[in-house]
Amino acid sequence: MKTKFQVNNGILLVLVAALAVFPFVSDSRTWTILLTQIFIFSILAMSYDILLGYTGIVSFGHAMFFGMGAYATAIMLDHFEPTLSVFFLSIAVGMVISGVISFLVGLLTLRLKSHFFAMLTLAVSGLFLVLAEKWRTLTHGNDGFTFRAPEFFKDRVMFYLLVLACLVLVYFLLRRFVSSPLGRVLIAVRENEQRTKSLGFQTLHYKVIASMVAGIVASLAGSLYAISLRFVNTSVLTMDITLDALLMTIIGGVGTLIGPIIGAGVIELAQHYLSGLAKEYPIFERWIIFFGIIYILAVIFFPRGIVGTIRHAFWKRKTNEPKVNVAPKRKELLK
Amino acid sequence: MELIINLLINGLATGMLIFLLAAGLTLIFGLMDVLNFAHGGLFAWGAFSGVWFYGLTNSFTVAIIGAILTGIVLGFITEKLIITPVYGNHIQQILITLGFMIVLSEMLKVVFGPNQIAAKTPPLLSGSWEIGDVIIIKYRLFIILVGILVFGIFQFILKRTKIGLIVRAGVMNKEMVQALGINIKQVFLYVFMVGAALAALGGVLMAPYSGVIYAEMGMEFAILAFIVVVIGGMGSFPGSLLAAILVGLAGSFMAYYVPALSLAVNMMLMAIVLIFRPQGLFTAKG
Repeated sequence: MKTKFQVNNGILLVLVAALAVFPFVSDSRTWTILLTQIFIFSILAMSYDILLGYTGIVSFGHAMFFGMGAYATAIMLDHFEPTLSVFFLSIAVGMVISGVISFLVGLLTLRLKSHFFAMLTLAVSGLFLVLAEKWRTLTHGNDGFTFRAPEFFKDRVMFYLLVLACLVLVYFLLRRFVSSPLGRVLIAVRENEQRTKSLGFQTLHYKVIASMVAGIVASLAGSLYAISLRFVNTSVLTMDITLDALLMTIIGGVGTLIGPIIGAGVIELAQHYLSGLAKEYPIFERWIIFFGIIYILAVIFFPRGIVGTIRHAFWKRKTNEPKVNVAPKRKELLK
Repeated sequence: MELIINLLINGLATGMLIFLLAAGLTLIFGLMDVLNFAHGGLFAWGAFSGVWFYGLTNSFTVAIIGAILTGIVLGFITEKLIITPVYGNHIQQILITLGFMIVLSEMLKVVFGPNQIAAKTPPLLSGSWEIGDVIIIKYRLFIILVGILVFGIFQFILKRTKIGLIVRAGVMNKEMVQALGINIKQVFLYVFMVGAALAALGGVLMAPYSGVIYAEMGMEFAILAFIVVVIGGMGSFPGSLLAAILVGLAGSFMAYYVPALSLAVNMMLMAIVLIFRPQGLFTAKG
C-alpha cells in the first residue's frame, strides 16, 4: 500500500509540475482553455465518484450543486464588486448553500432504495432548474447573463493555475477523505449496506455525509466553471451536466479518484476533436452517441473503467487494495 | 364552466398519454424489478417513426401500426442487449438504461435530423365540436378514448387470460412462478416488448397533439411517467391510470391558474408520496 502511494505521488507531482509550467512554455490559448475546462470537469467528476464509486449511490441530480456554485459566483460578482475577495466569498457561499441543500435532500431521500433515489434526485434537480428559469429577476432565466470576472483572472494563465491548484487540493483532500475511517465505512456501504448496518453503523448518516461532500465539491467546480465562461445560464443545471459527470466517472473508472480525472480528459478532448471533425463528417456532430455506446459497453464489460481495469491488471497481486466494483454481484442482489 | 371543461379535457388527454408511457414502465418494474430509464427514448422513437410513416402513406392507421411495430422491435433489442446482461443488478440497470436513453435520442437526431419536426393532425380527427360555449377538440377526445380502450384491453388481459395470470403472479412472487415451471424470462421479454409498444403508441399519439416533435421530448415525458409510476405505486396498473390522470389534470389546471408552479407541482407531489408513502398510493395486488 505504502510504496504504491509513494510511486503514485511521485508521478503525480511530476505531472502537476508539467501542467503548471505548460502555459509558460506553450502559447496555445486553445490548449490553456481546454485544459482549464478539463480540470473543472475533473473536480465535478471526482465529486460524483464519491457518490457513485465510493458509496454506491446513483444520483441524477448532481447538476444542481454544480449550478448552485455557478449561480452563487455569477450573481455575487454581478451584484457586488468583481474582486478576488468577493470571488472567494462567493465560492464559500455556494458551498454552504450546496451543503445545506444536500443535507436536507439527502436526509429525505437517501433512505429510499436506489431506483427511487435516482428518480427523486432527478425530480429535485428538475425543480431547481424550473426555479432558475422562473426566478428571472435573479437568474435572467434561460437567457442567462454575463458578468465581469475579477481583474486578476483577465490573464487566462492565472485562472488556469488557480483551477489546477484547486484540482490538486481537491484530489488530495478527497483521497484523504476516502481513506479515512469514514471513507472506509462508505466503501462498506457500497459493498453491502445490510451488513454495514448490522455492524452498528447508522448508514444513513454516512450516506448523507457523502452526499454533502459531493455536493460541496461540485459547487466549487460550478463556481470555477462560471468564471471560465464569464457567463451563466440555466444550462448549468440541466441533466447534461450530470450526464457528463456520469460518463467521465464511468469511463475513467469508478471508485478511483484518478479515474474521473482521466475520464474528464478523455471526454473533453474527444468532444473537442470530434466536434472539429464534424465539419467533414456530419455523423461526428452526434459524437455523444459514441460515448453512449462506449458507456453501455463499459457498464457491461468494464465496470471498473479505464483506471480500474489497468490498476486491477497491474496491482492485483502486489497489493491488497479493495476490489472496485460498481455494484455487488448478482447473487448478492437476489437475496 | 366551459373553461373548466376545456381544462378537464386537456388534462385528461395529457394524462392518457402519460398513462400509455407509465403503464409499460409500471408493468416492467413490477414484474422485472427494472426501472427503465430508456422508456422515454422508446416514446420519442414512436413519435418520430409514426410521423415518418404518416408522411409516407398519409394514413394515420398505418402510422400507429408502424409506431407500435417500431416499439416492439426496439423493445426486443433493448431487452436482449441492454437489460439481460445486467439483470438483477440495480445500479448497473439504472446506469445502462440511462446510457441507452442517450443513444436512442442521439440516434433519433442522426436518423431524422436534429431539428424539430412538425406533426399534422389527420383530417378526420382535426377540428372541433362546439356544444354551446364549450369547444371540444376532436383529437383530444380521440386520445382519451384510446387511453380508455387500452386500459380496458389490458385490464381484460391481466384479469381474464392465462398470460395475464402469469404476469400478475410474477409481479407478486417471481420465484414461485418460476418454481411452477414457467419460463419467466420469456414472459419478461414479452412484457418488455408490450411496454415498449405502449410507449411508442403514446409517442405517435403525442405527435399531432403537441404539433411538433423533438428528441428531448422523450426525457421530458419520461420524468412525468416516473412521477406517475411512483405516485400510483410500482407495478399497479390501475394505480398508474389514476395517477396519470391526476398528474395530467394537475398539470393542465396549474398551467392555467399558477403557470409558475405547473411543473413543480408534480415533482412536489412525487416527493411527498415518496417520503410518506414510498410504496405509492396503490400497491400492486394480484
